[in-house]
Amino acid sequence: MPPPPPFFNPVVLISELAFTMLAVIFCFLIYFKTKESYELTKYEGIKYFRGAFLFFGLSYILRFIFSLMHFSQAGFEFIFPREMFALLFILPLGYFSTIGIFYLIFGSAWKSVGNNKIIIIIGHVVAVLLSIVAFITRSQRMLLFLQCALLVIAVILNFVMHKKGKKLSQIKVLYFLIAILWLINLLIIDNQRPLPLEAEFFFQVLSVAVFIIIYHKISKWVK
Amino acid sequence: MNKKRDRLTVIFDILKIISAHHNSIKPTPLLRSSNLSSTNFAGYYAELIAKEFVKEIIDRKGRKYITLTDKGFKYLEKYKLILGFIDEFEL
Repeated sequence: MPPPPPFFNPVVLISELAFTMLAVIFCFLIYFKTKESYELTKYEGIKYFRGAFLFFGLSYILRFIFSLMHFSQAGFEFIFPREMFALLFILPLGYFSTIGIFYLIFGSAWKSVGNNKIIIIIGHVVAVLLSIVAFITRSQRMLLFLQCALLVIAVILNFVMHKKGKKLSQIKVLYFLIAILWLINLLIIDNQRPLPLEAEFFFQVLSVAVFIIIYHKISKWVK
Repeated sequence: MNKKRDRLTVIFDILKIISAHHNSIKPTPLLRSSNLSSTNFAGYYAELIAKEFVKEIIDRKGRKYITLTDKGFKYLEKYKLILGFIDEFEL
């Protein structure tokens, strides 16, 4: 008899649910906490920064639903074929998460970029293309590879633009961690669950810790 | 005032001038104190009115005064914190 689908291991289900709730709560807290600062200033950097956390929050919700569909067996079959359902979720999942990564990078790079509007349009087009490719190939692994490639390009660009002698700031490390942890969390919900359970917990705790650090840093400035 | 002020600082400086004048100043002295060209000032002034940071008051003799709104006071109060937030997050 094949082993039960991993999601219905109650430990995995509870940890996934708790992790998703915490990640989403902190993403939305960051988004709403910075609302007043943005409304007062209409500052572009704040717009992209808070937008990134809004999209990450939505992505983590969709990731949970997607993984639930993906790993459940009979649960949803009587309503709708579960693979079809999972497939429908991969479109917004791909779009929101790619835009989240893009806004996170663009929030701290927009000053050194010439025409913001064109870059933003390119970002949205890339996000749509990535999610369409993931939809057509019916694979979140494809989405993972494409977002990895996008992140590598962003890191290289950041390295090229980085001023010599200037130390890498703590906040840039946190931004990088948010993006890389998203990719790892996407890998976790892969069909074969390639990471051991302990590693999954470790990365989930680390992800929540990064969101809490960001929220704590914001709370110092935005009362 | 520094020539290379960014948009947030210019807005803060203009609001601070109004506040320092007991929250009531005529447009011409405000333009002079802001150290902006009249074209730049007109742009910022329109933005401040549109964002409801300031409002115009006409007195009985028909003279126009500019005063801060609650939102304008809030901007003054929060400016340094917002700047700290922008710096820390490299936005």
